[in-house]
This record gives sequence, C-alpha cells and structure tokens, in this order.
Amino acid sequence: MAATKVAAAKVVPLNCVAPEQVLALKEPTKGFLCPLSANIYGIDFTEFEVKDCDSGEVVFSIRKDPTGPAMPSAPLDLDPELEAQFRTIQYTFPASFLRFKTVRTALTFRVGPEPLSNFRMIERHYFKNKLTRSYDFNFGFVIPNSTNSWESIYDMPKLTEAQVREMVDCPYESRSDSFYFVNDELVMHNKAEYAFEL
Amino acid sequence: MGLLTIIKKVKQKEKEMRLLMVGLDNAGKTTIVKRINGEDTSTISPTLGFNIKTMQYKNFRLNIWDVGGQKTLRAYWRNYYEQTDGMIWVVDSSDLRRLDDCRAELHGLLKEEKLAGASLLIFANKQDITGALRPEQIAKVLQLDLMDGSRHWKIVGCSAVGGDGLLTGFDWIVSDIGTRIFMHE
Repeated sequence: MAATKVAAAKVVPLNCVAPEQVLALKEPTKGFLCPLSANIYGIDFTEFEVKDCDSGEVVFSIRKDPTGPAMPSAPLDLDPELEAQFRTIQYTFPASFLRFKTVRTALTFRVGPEPLSNFRMIERHYFKNKLTRSYDFNFGFVIPNSTNSWESIYDMPKLTEAQVREMVDCPYESRSDSFYFVNDELVMHNKAEYAFEL
Repeated sequence: MGLLTIIKKVKQKEKEMRLLMVGLDNAGKTTIVKRINGEDTSTISPTLGFNIKTMQYKNFRLNIWDVGGQKTLRAYWRNYYEQTDGMIWVVDSSDLRRLDDCRAELHGLLKEEKLAGASLLIFANKQDITGALRPEQIAKVLQLDLMDGSRHWKIVGCSAVGGDGLLTGFDWIVSDIGTRIFMHE
C-alpha cells in the first residue's frame, strides 16, 4: 500500500512554486518567489500602457527602445535591497483612475530563441495588505524570437468616495505581485506599488 | 439565492468568445482589429508573434488572437487553435499573385480537427484598391464550395482602412457563434 502511495505522489522539484500556491496568497509576499535568473526565456517587457476605456485618457505609458539590449543588464550578484528596488515598480496614477469603470491595459513583450508553452500571468492586487483583485490570464504558446502584444479590459470595482480618499491618502499601500509561469514553473516575479494623486 | 449567483457567474463567463485571426502576411489582420476597436491604423508594422485583444462587442467579450502571417510564423498557428469559437480568414483581394498560396493555407486550416466546429468568416479585404477581386470572385478562387457542408461560413468584402464591411462581418460571426453556443439561455 505504501509503495502505491509513493508511486502516485507527484514528483515536484524543491522550491517549486505552483500557480495554485500564488492563487492562494492573501497578502503581498515578503520577498521574491524566484530569482531573476529564473527567466531563462529572456521574457522582456517593452511597452506598457494603462488607460480609461471610456474616455481614452492615458494614465500611464512607457516604451523601451526596441533596438536596445534584450534584457536590462542586472548583475547576478545584486545586493538584495537593490534587487528588490530593481524588481519593484512604483507607479503614480491620477486619482481619477480609481473612478474608472473599465480600464484598458496594453503590454508588449518579446522572448528569446526558445518557444514558451503555457505562458500564464497571475496578478494579485492588495490594499493595506488585503487582497482586492486577482487576475489570471493564459497566453498559451509563445513563438520563439517573437514580439507580442496583449490588450485587455478590466471592470474596476466600484469604490465609495471614502475608499477613494483612503487610497489617495495612503500612497504605495496599494500593491501588486505579478507572477509569470511557463509550463506551471515560475519564471518571473515582479512587484508594483501605486500612489494616486489628486 | 446562492445558486442563482453561481449560475449568473457561469453565464457571464460563457459570454466570452475566442476568435482567431489568420491569413497571409500583409492581408490586413491587425488593421482590421484596430479599426473595429476605433484605434489609429496609420502606423501598423508586421506582426512578429501574436496580438491579443479583448474587446466588448454587443453583449459579448471577444478575445481576439491575431497571429502573424509570415511564412516562418505559419507553422506555429496550430498552437492557437484550441478553444477557438470562430476564425476570421483575411485575404488581400488585390494580391492576385498569392491567391493560390492563400487557398492552400486556408484549406490546410480547414482540415484541422480542433477548428472543425469553428464558424468561419472570410474577409475579402482591400476592396478599396483598384483591381481587387470582388468577394464572389475570391470565393471562387479560394474554392469555398469545396468546404465541408456542416461548416458555418460567410464571405464579406471589406476595406480595413475605410472600415466598410467590417461590422457586417463581425455581426455575422458573433451572432453565429452566439446562437450556436449560448442558445440555451
């Protein structure tokens, strides 16, 4: 009987973070669940834009030089504090963002010479360490050496004026963890912190 | 009451449709998607991978997968067939030289088992260009009459740049998929 049990157990490598684990997270992680070096596919985000779906108002837009180096040259022996800074993006959005009904995000990324199967993004959003929203999107297959774009629309939670004020008054208490998986293996983990300005 | 909430949620999820846009390179796939979404179409470069776009269309949420049509990319199309409710095949009706190539690729796609149940919209694009073949002529050249009789399909002439025909095409494919998938509501 015991032998059958062992045989039935799924063999998972040590320190392996599964999508189900991050989907169960209830607060921001303390550190990063994978090292920078886990990104063996050279996944590189080159453009990101956030706008209001109804008015078209752009609240955030960044574009990297597409002819620049594929990966930002972060040394592998980065000081942990510096690494945390490097992997955490701080955004400042206008407070009007909190009143948008529907938000459109556009992301462009490229990958290296290896194909990616089952590429999936899970994003957990928190305010004051409480889970507010969670997104899960499966890109599926990614073609080697390709540049791809992903535009999505999200319905935003309806906030009361008191909630909007609280979020404005507490800059960077709005946080998110973005996890990227290839074949259920965590290859990237980034953090973001948000401030809202009146 | 709990059950009602669950049913409602399931239905909301069901209101999603996955559309696959394919065709030879330079057919106008990306331009069509941008145009239907009301975006600027003046600076569009060849798609070197995929463009995924979610948009609200009538009561449905469309997930459009526009995959590059260059020869080197076509071998990867099959990775995007899964769960496709409808495919939109875009033809450059003015590129007479490559219509044979276009027909071969389309008929290859139609043999795919994973796409067997998908509705097919053919956009005979670039009708604004002088010398472009009319949709009826494109249908003949592409031998659409050879298709399996059970396939739901329609060919629509359009101009991605001018916008003509795009709504006719999208209205048809969305309502065809809608009646096929969500008819039990």
